[in-house]
Amino acid sequence: MTAATLEREIAARQQRLGDAEPWRAAALGDFAAAGLPTPRRENWRYTNLQPLAASAFEWAPPEPDRAAIAAAAGLLEQSPLLRSAARIVLVDGHPVAALSTPPARGIEVRSLRDHWQSFEQRYSARLRAAEHPLAALNTALVGQGIWLRIGADVRTEESLHLVLISSDKTAVASQPRTLLEVGAGASATVVQHLLDLGDPAGWINGVTQIDLAAESTLSLFRLQQHGSRQTHTALLSADLAANAALAVGYVDLGGRLIRNDVDVRLREPGAAAEIFGVFLAAHGQHVDEHTRIDHLARETRSDEAFRGIIGERGRGVFNGKVVVHRDAQRIDARQSSDNLLLGDHAEIDTKPELEIYADDVKCSHGSTVGELDAEQLFYLRSRGVADAVARAILTQAFAASVLERIRAADVREHALALVGASLGRLAAGSAS
Amino acid sequence: MLRIENLHVRAAEREILKGLDLEVPAGEVHAIMGPNGSGKSTLAQVLAGREDYQVTAGSVKLDGLELLGLAPEERARAGVFLAFQYPIEIPGVNNAYLLKAALNAQRQARGEQAIDAFEFMKLIKTKMELMEIPKDFLTRSVNQGFSGGEKKRNEILQLLLLEPRLAVLDETDSGLDVDALKIVANGVNSLRDPERSMLLVTHYERLLELIVPDRVHVLAGGRIVKSGPRELARELDARGYDWVLAEARGG
Repeated sequence: MTAATLEREIAARQQRLGDAEPWRAAALGDFAAAGLPTPRRENWRYTNLQPLAASAFEWAPPEPDRAAIAAAAGLLEQSPLLRSAARIVLVDGHPVAALSTPPARGIEVRSLRDHWQSFEQRYSARLRAAEHPLAALNTALVGQGIWLRIGADVRTEESLHLVLISSDKTAVASQPRTLLEVGAGASATVVQHLLDLGDPAGWINGVTQIDLAAESTLSLFRLQQHGSRQTHTALLSADLAANAALAVGYVDLGGRLIRNDVDVRLREPGAAAEIFGVFLAAHGQHVDEHTRIDHLARETRSDEAFRGIIGERGRGVFNGKVVVHRDAQRIDARQSSDNLLLGDHAEIDTKPELEIYADDVKCSHGSTVGELDAEQLFYLRSRGVADAVARAILTQAFAASVLERIRAADVREHALALVGASLGRLAAGSAS
Repeated sequence: MLRIENLHVRAAEREILKGLDLEVPAGEVHAIMGPNGSGKSTLAQVLAGREDYQVTAGSVKLDGLELLGLAPEERARAGVFLAFQYPIEIPGVNNAYLLKAALNAQRQARGEQAIDAFEFMKLIKTKMELMEIPKDFLTRSVNQGFSGGEKKRNEILQLLLLEPRLAVLDETDSGLDVDALKIVANGVNSLRDPERSMLLVTHYERLLELIVPDRVHVLAGGRIVKSGPRELARELDARGYDWVLAEARGG
């Protein structure tokens, strides 16, 4: 295995691939035709991936060796939340059975490898390469992936943790793929953890697809704690049937370049999505949150709230698109984007985009960009709290007001603690 | 004790305090009254270290320590407490957290250990009872969703907890009904102490019927223009300020 640039790798794979996996060849062709998104695409105006094209990556990361598994075990042991949790652990995209727990009753864990055909028909075909070229790249190069099926009426109390760990091998490009299928009337909480061993300079290009059957509920929280050199591009694509409820919460703390796309389709009446996030960017970090919610049926609801904390030399982007389709009457769509600029050369671009083709709708959106409130700061200081501590308290509170939406108490406390620690590092002057 | 000499303060281009002199000996409670816009709240904020004001001359000493030039938190640790006229709402920060942070900042400044959770609860419980503050208050965000009266009682609770050398109460009576006013007055009176100075900034005489001051000062045009015993407050209530201002102009 040797590292190669993206273009060389694609060309080599196109030559190598036979007829065994025609969908892979198709995805490769789609990606080659579309290419890496450039800032000329409206959706990618602020985020430039071109430097990735020039870098050489390891496109087929090897299975983790014993040292990497031991290091991953150490990482899990350090986390009070993960130490004894129900979990599935992957290192560089490879499931590690020794670090994972057996699935709870009613939950089936599949490998994509064993179900290529149904994966292709039911999932990979749904994502159009013209719209999501990086998803085509993921499909073309994906390894085993994780396919979670939660049976009808299965209601799990305990959160299931998906722990994606990148090893400290330099320049690995991995393509994690997660499918979450929740059966009718079922309910589950899944927490994705993105962790690094050491400080690798790789590229994680993930795709998560969610399929919620009628009356089902899924909470998906993603805690991203990459090191300071990692690039992560991620698409989350979800389809909701009647009266299904999806909550998605993103906490983005680390990484050098982070681009999240969240696409949610409320397909049938009564479907509801809550999407929220907190992101930190400082010291050369670039975090781009792009969301799109399609209200395709009547009486669907969406509630979106993102909060950005941008420190010195940090760059944030938020773009929230809401499309209310014809006949999607009596819908309710809310969106807010609030941002704190805390240092010199801190920058945020925030933009709501509403397209409304129905007439009986309730839509609201608002965005703010500001500094810490001077009155609140003075109030705390007048009680003896040091300026730096008062700033940390208020910044943490700014994030906490969104993190309170995490209903699983242990996950919420963990997320708050991670944000607190990252804010401490942000104040101290280094990324992640 | 608090000693203010020749204090000049500007906000933007306007001079608000123009050579204010005031002394509040330890153990005494003084009231500052005066017409709207005379600079009463400015004085309260300047004492606490508000940075929006520009102090152009003068001196403010607490027990001999010059406060001007100290940051708000340094003043608080030196024993200054301001009860805000409009207490600030801080969503996402709960009251228990603020109270502990404030108390520990002071203890740390005195070289003491941080208070433990049990000791803190014991300490705060009796003070909450005195101020008739319900138990769920500790887990609620600071002043968020509080009524005007609850916010003022919260200020006095903080005052009781921090036990400052100098308490400055800025219009603590405004927006309070009779019952709440009594609770606030009880709280403040319980803190009267030979070692403590208190400055009440108020519009109304009714507070001074419940917290009886040792001296009353009239602030007008940026200076103390008249001082007198507690009866002065009643006279101002009955006659207004015009006669004091005329007297001051006449020398």
